[in-house]
Amino acid sequence: MRHTPRPVASRLSAGAALAVVTAGLTVGLTVGPAYGAETAEREDTRAGRLEVYPTNVVPGAEVTVGTVACGADGTAEGDASSVGADAFALAPGTPPGNTTGRFRVPPSAQPGTYEIVARCSRDGAEVAGDVVVRLTGAGEPTHPRGSVKTGVGGALGPDPVKTAAGVAALAVAAAGGTWLLHRRVRGEAI
Amino acid sequence: MRGFTDTAIACATMVALGCGAWLLRSGTEHDAPPQPSAAQAHTRSGPEVPAGVPALPPSPPERVRIPSIRVNAPFTVLGLTPTGGLGVPPATKENLVGWYEAGATPGETGTAIVAGHVDTADGPAVFYRLGALTKGARVEVERRDGTVAVFSVDAVEVYDAHAFPDEKVYGAADRPELRLITCGGGYSKRTGYRGNVVVFAHLTGVRERPSGAAR
Repeated sequence: MRHTPRPVASRLSAGAALAVVTAGLTVGLTVGPAYGAETAEREDTRAGRLEVYPTNVVPGAEVTVGTVACGADGTAEGDASSVGADAFALAPGTPPGNTTGRFRVPPSAQPGTYEIVARCSRDGAEVAGDVVVRLTGAGEPTHPRGSVKTGVGGALGPDPVKTAAGVAALAVAAAGGTWLLHRRVRGEAI
Repeated sequence: MRGFTDTAIACATMVALGCGAWLLRSGTEHDAPPQPSAAQAHTRSGPEVPAGVPALPPSPPERVRIPSIRVNAPFTVLGLTPTGGLGVPPATKENLVGWYEAGATPGETGTAIVAGHVDTADGPAVFYRLGALTKGARVEVERRDGTVAVFSVDAVEVYDAHAFPDEKVYGAADRPELRLITCGGGYSKRTGYRGNVVVFAHLTGVRERPSGAAR
């Protein structure tokens, strides 16, 4: 389901490792390595990511992406070819420090998770984010709505077959009983 | 000879009387499917539930077993209705459950959604006794990858169709969870079942499926 032209993890983890080492050296001296690593990771997730909105889309939808990785007044080239969209440009956007751009998911796109990449013009740094294409329902992850029609009441109410059989059996019993009673009335011992 | 005939007829009469009474009684009784008691609802401080186990990789479900209510049924896949509701298995198959294919698979992180009929036009169906499940009961799902995901019931609730808590039932979960859904909440001839019985469970065990196990 996942169409990733390049492995995200390796690229991100290299950056994360570098950031952790740097932060560990600077902050670790005073506060301790654990705290340093935490802070660095938090910063890294913001700086190293391409924010995608909305994340869950239907084919044909327009998607906005943004990153802070390209610096103030940064520009970038967007690559959404994984989902079959044309190249697009990212320009300085709001809030300040963000570089944003938009692209349209082709109406022919198949459901799946696709990696969208932006390359900063300044230093060639790459950031990536995922867009999830689904066939129904944009916005929140698709889940069903409302109650489910999983019964018709067939377990309730009379069962016509059983009822008919019951009536027939009682008729037989009545006939037998009548016959025996007749014999008795006529004085013949049973 | 005559005495023998009379005895035979007397016996047949008694048997017919007994059978007829039983058939009429069971044929006309209105036996509603069992509904969960308030004690089975979600509580903040209920009995200790078994801890969860790490999630499994995704793999589609093939069979569900619930020993305590004697459920043993194969799976079909479900989609959404045009109005966004959950689809249901074919109305004529009484021993078949459906899994919502676009959601999580049972055992992976997230909410796996399973629905089955409480009855068909002919009588009780696979989830007829779902409302009789109790907290801690075991639900086993055999998966295509050969593992059996074992879930423990956390709660059994009944919801009115007009106030169905979508997010609670279908919403995302950060651990492997399972929902079993069927009709319930009272029945009227005009509107059918008034709501749904929903079983909430989470993954508490994993084992390998014995090879060549009886299906």
